[in-house]
Amino acid sequence: MATYLGTHGSRIQNYTTDPDNPNTGEVWYNATANTIRVEAVTTAGSWAAGGALNTGIEKSGGAGTQTSALSFGGKLPPTTNGVESYNGTNWTEIANLNLARNALGGAGASNTSALAFGGESPSGGNKNETELWNGTNWTEVNNLNEARNSLASCGIQTAALAAGGNSTDSPSNRATTESWNGTNWTTVNNMNSGRYNLAGAGTNTSAVVFGGYDTAQRAYSESWNGTNWTETNDLNEARYALAGSGTSNTSALAFGGQPGLAGSSAKTELWNGSNWTEDGDLNNARVSLTGTGTATLGLVFGGEGPPPAQTLTEEWTGAGAAQTRTISTD
Amino acid sequence: MAKTYQYCVAENWGKGFIDHVESSRITFAGYPGNVWQVPAYNKHGNLWIAKVAGTVKTKTEAQAIVDAEVQAAQAVWDALPDAEKAPAVGSNTRPADITLEE
Repeated sequence: MATYLGTHGSRIQNYTTDPDNPNTGEVWYNATANTIRVEAVTTAGSWAAGGALNTGIEKSGGAGTQTSALSFGGKLPPTTNGVESYNGTNWTEIANLNLARNALGGAGASNTSALAFGGESPSGGNKNETELWNGTNWTEVNNLNEARNSLASCGIQTAALAAGGNSTDSPSNRATTESWNGTNWTTVNNMNSGRYNLAGAGTNTSAVVFGGYDTAQRAYSESWNGTNWTETNDLNEARYALAGSGTSNTSALAFGGQPGLAGSSAKTELWNGSNWTEDGDLNNARVSLTGTGTATLGLVFGGEGPPPAQTLTEEWTGAGAAQTRTISTD
Repeated sequence: MAKTYQYCVAENWGKGFIDHVESSRITFAGYPGNVWQVPAYNKHGNLWIAKVAGTVKTKTEAQAIVDAEVQAAQAVWDALPDAEKAPAVGSNTRPADITLEE
């Protein structure tokens, strides 16, 4: 019987392009690039450059995944109602929000299904309006019970969570939490610590919020089980105006933000339900950035570090992901 | 003293500018003015600079580019009405100076 070795004189298979779905550990020769390649598994997370936004933005709302995401509202400045859609490669401008605002909340599973809520109007007032995106139009739906900006948000279009933020009510650092069931916002139990410019990840039944500002930048982290908030181990770096991604109160990612009275952070921290662990830094440190996706496949866009607002997008791949690597013999 | 970092200027074109393999091999730090910091005396850093057609800068040259960008941002912030500077704590703080490392 003919063998591969006997036919080709080599134990490694030749390809002109890399195979579509190689098995982990599979080695091949790329005859176009003249390199030996292996399908490996990442041992740490890393950020790669993604397609640039058409317009630099900060404090926008975000929703979706690494390959299907939305950026809505935010501040150029001025505050805008502009919306862009990401397909994993490019951002495209699409239909605007009805209401221009920045520092708003966002939830949603993709670039065709999202929810925008709260925020700050161009004149500086706090907003409670909610808008629903169906892939074609933004439609106004029932308002938040409490108008606020710089809140944490997570979830999907039919099940979202809004937590904390900044309000004209006293105290201005809010601990208020509201849960969205697809039709109405319901006020549920407060966070343990009121603060704004925090970030969140998860769903309306399993979430984690982290960082933020009250009288100083905070490393606080709280876990939501659908009923109550529980204080957990802190972030390693206290910061605010950060962003996050993740799917539950046991799987989240925190990145960027402002660690003091000035400056910006590139730090990325991974939450496993018990502890925050430092992982690969952002390539561009910045504040007031927007995150979406999961803790394994995350997306970050916009922000500033320093102004003007940036068009930068970065894509996160966490440890354990398949990755084709070139074997170096130098 | 041997330098830890090297600097270049390169415009981020988006997807593919830094890929996951590069990002997992070396630490990148982007600064204002399209200034990029990568490890010095590092094959992967050198390969990346070549890939993006980066213009190599000394630390002093890179610092001057970053300073100009930060000072421009500070001037914009300083010209804001006091009402917009007032809520500076917790948001909209004055852009900070950035000091590059050797």
